[in-house]
Amino acid sequence: MQLIIDKAGKLYRGRHGKVWALRNFSLELRPGVLGLLGPNGAGKTTLMNIVATITRATEGTVTWNGADLQRQPDAVRAVLGYLPQDFGVYPNLNAVEFLEYFAAVKGLDAASARRRIDELLQLVNLADVRKRPLGGYSGGMRQRIGIAQALLNDPQLLIVDEPTAGLDPEERVRFRNLLSDLSGDRIVILSTHIVSDVEATATEIALISGGALVAHAPPEELLCATEGRVWEWVIPSADLGAAKQRYLISGAVRRADGVHVRLLTESAPAGAVPVAATLEDAYLHCLSTHRAHLAEAPAR
Amino acid sequence: MNRGRTLYHLARADFLERVRRYSFLLILAFAAGLAYLTYIGTISLQLGEYRGVYNSAWVGSMMTLVTTTFITLAGFYMVKNTIQRDQQTRVGLVLATTPMSRSLYTLGKALSNFAVLAAMVAVLAVAAVILQLVRAEGGGLEPRKLLAPFIWVALPAMAMTAALAVLFETLPVLRGGAGNVIYFFAWSAYVGASGVAGVNEYVGLGFFMRRMTDALRLIDPSHKEQQFTLQAGPTAHATKTFLWSGVDWTPQVLVGRLQWVAIAIGIAWLSALFFHRFDPARERSRRKKETPEPAEDRAGTDGLPRAVAVQLTPLARTTRGGRFPRLVVSELRLMLKGHGWWWYLVAAGLFVASLVAPDVQARQAVAGFAWLWPVLIWSKMGAREARYDTQKLVFSCAHALDRQLPAVWVAGVVVAILTGGGLGIRLLSGGNWPGLSGWLAGALFVPTLALALGVWSGSSKLFEAVYTLWWYVGPMNHIPGLDFIGMARSQFSTQFYLLATMALLMAAYLGRRAKLGYA
Repeated sequence: MQLIIDKAGKLYRGRHGKVWALRNFSLELRPGVLGLLGPNGAGKTTLMNIVATITRATEGTVTWNGADLQRQPDAVRAVLGYLPQDFGVYPNLNAVEFLEYFAAVKGLDAASARRRIDELLQLVNLADVRKRPLGGYSGGMRQRIGIAQALLNDPQLLIVDEPTAGLDPEERVRFRNLLSDLSGDRIVILSTHIVSDVEATATEIALISGGALVAHAPPEELLCATEGRVWEWVIPSADLGAAKQRYLISGAVRRADGVHVRLLTESAPAGAVPVAATLEDAYLHCLSTHRAHLAEAPAR
Repeated sequence: MNRGRTLYHLARADFLERVRRYSFLLILAFAAGLAYLTYIGTISLQLGEYRGVYNSAWVGSMMTLVTTTFITLAGFYMVKNTIQRDQQTRVGLVLATTPMSRSLYTLGKALSNFAVLAAMVAVLAVAAVILQLVRAEGGGLEPRKLLAPFIWVALPAMAMTAALAVLFETLPVLRGGAGNVIYFFAWSAYVGASGVAGVNEYVGLGFFMRRMTDALRLIDPSHKEQQFTLQAGPTAHATKTFLWSGVDWTPQVLVGRLQWVAIAIGIAWLSALFFHRFDPARERSRRKKETPEPAEDRAGTDGLPRAVAVQLTPLARTTRGGRFPRLVVSELRLMLKGHGWWWYLVAAGLFVASLVAPDVQARQAVAGFAWLWPVLIWSKMGAREARYDTQKLVFSCAHALDRQLPAVWVAGVVVAILTGGGLGIRLLSGGNWPGLSGWLAGALFVPTLALALGVWSGSSKLFEAVYTLWWYVGPMNHIPGLDFIGMARSQFSTQFYLLATMALLMAAYLGRRAKLGYA
C-alpha cells in the first residue's frame, strides 16, 4: 500500500491572475497517520482534494499502488474514505438512509452495508438517533455522520480534513483513538489546526507552507530538531510587548510572579530556563526557520 | 448608522457579488438575445395586420414591451436567489446579528434585484437605439421618445419583479420550487387578464395596447383590441404600417406608472413581515412535522458512559456488479423522500384519472398534469449534489460518472413512467402503438432534460422555469412539435424527442464529467 505524490502542483486561474496553491510537492506515504499541518492557505485542502480525486493536479503525478490517478482515478476512489472540511447532508434522510445511499454509491452489497452501518452508528454514537432526519442534527452530529460515511467502505486510504471541528472534547478524544486504531493497515491523512490531535495520532508529520513541503518527518524527529531552543522566561507584564517584538513566543501565562513566557530562540535571554519542546513549538520553529530562509534567499 | 447608507451598502454589496459572477454574463447575454430576436423579427409587436413605422416612439415602445414581457417572467427566476445566497454563504448569520432592521434588509435585497434587472433593461435600451438607426424607417433618432417607455414603463415593471422575487423568497410556501411554478401561472393569468382588460398593469401590455389601438383606429376604425399581440416565433408578418407617435407622458400617466414603484416598495417592505432573519428555528418550522428540534447530543450528557467499544468488521473486497439496481432504488428513494402523503395521493389520483377518463381530451389533459406534478422531483436531478453540498462526498466515490449519474437518470425515468403511467397503460391496452411510442419518448425526454439542465446549471430553478413554460406552451396549448406528451404528436416529434433525449443525455454526461476533476 503506497501513495506517491510526485512534484504535484495546482494552478488556480482567477480574475486576479494565477496562483499556485501547491507547487513541486512530493511525498511518499505508507500505512500510518500523516498529520498535515500548515497555516491558513498553505495548500493543505488543495493537496487533499487532489489525492481524493476532487480536483486534477496541474502538474506532477499522484499514484496509488502504482496506478496514476490522472488516468485511473477509480483505482483510489474504490478504496477511499473522504471527510471534507465542509460538506452537506440530505436533510430529509435519516442517518441509516443517508449511509445506505452512500453505501450504494460506493458499491457495497446490501448485507455488508447493513452490518457496517450498524457498527458505524454505534462507533460514532449516533445509534440512538439513527431514525431522525439529518436536518435536525446538530453540527457535531453531522460531523460524526460524515466520519461514518468516510469509513463506510473500510477505506485503505482515509483522508480527513479538520475532522474534529465541531466535536466536543470527549468526542474528539474518541475520534483520535479511532484514528490510531485504524491506522495499522491503512494510510490516513489528517489535516487539522489542532496540534494536540496530531500529537495524539500522527506517526508522521508533513508541514506545508505557501504550497511547498517544509518538513516531512516523524514527530520525534521534529521535536529533536527543536530541543534546546525552547525556554521559559518570567517577565513583568509591562515587558511583554517588547519581548514579543524581539522573540518568537509560543505561549504566555500570567501568574502572581509575572508573565511566564514560552519562547523559541537559539540564544536565551538572561534568566530564561530551558524546557522540553512540544509539537506546537516544533511547528512554530519549523515555520519561522522556513520563512527566514525564504527572506534570505535572493529574489528570483 | 444612517439608514440610507445601510440600504445603499446592502444593495451595493449584493449587486457587486452578483455582477462578479459568470452567471451575470449569462443574464446580459439573455437580454442581448432578446434584442437580437427582435432585430431579426422573430419577436415582433403587431396589431392584426398592422405594425408601427420604425420611428423612435414605435421602436422604444416595442422594445419596452419585449423587455417587460420577457424579463418580468425570466428575470424573476434570475434574481430570486438573493436571500438564499446569504443563507448559503452564511453571510446572513452575520447580518442577522447587526442592528439592521428586517425591512431594511428586504428593501436592500429588492434594490439589488432591481439593479440587476435594470442592467438588462439598459442592454435592451441600447439595442433599441441600434435597431432604430439600422431600420431608419421613420425619421431621425428622438432620444426622449425612444427612451421614455424604458424609464416609465420598463423600470417600474422591474421594480415590481424585484420586489415580488423578494416576497417569494421570504414566504416559506413560495420559497422553493413550488413558488417557481406558482409564479409562472400567476404571471400568465395576470398578463392574460390585464391584456384583455387593457388596464394600466405593471407589465405595460394593457397600457400600450389601449393607446396604440386608439392611434390605429384613427386610420382603421374596424381594428379590434384583441388583435394586439407580441409574437415570438415564425408568424405571419404585418403587411400594413401605421404611425405611432408615442405616449403623451402627462403627469397623470406618470403618476399611474410611478404607483407601481410605490407598490413595489410596499411589497418589499411587506416581505419583512415574513423574513426569517436567518433564524434556524423558523427555517426548521417549515420542514415536515416529524423533523425534530436540533437533536440534543444526549449521549454523554445524561451521565451514561459514552464510550462504546465497537469493533468494525473488515469488509471483503468484492467485485462490483449487480449493484446498479440497488443504486437506482437508492436514488429513487432520495428523490421521493420528504414528500407528504398528500403528494402521493394526488399523483395516484392523476394516474387513475388518466387511466379511466372516458374522453380522450380529458384523459390527455389529466396526463399533462400528471407530468407536471413531479416537476420538483425532476428539477433536483443533477443539481442535488450542488444544492446540498454533497459533491465532494459523491464525486470522490468510484464510478460517480458511469454508475451514479445513469442511476439518477433511470430513477427519473421511473418517476415519469410511474406518474404518467395511466395514459401509458391506456395506450398500451388500446393498441395505440404510435401514441405509446410518443408517450415513451416523452417519459425519456422530460427527466433527461431535467438531468442536463441540473448538471449544467447546478440549480433546480432552470428546469422548473423552462419545463413549466414548455409544458404550458406544448402539451397544454397543443402546439405541434412542443408537445412531449402526445396531444399534438406526430411521428416527427417522437423521433425528435428521442434524438433530443440522446443529445441531452450526452450533455449531462459531459457536464458531470467536467465537474469531476479526474474523470
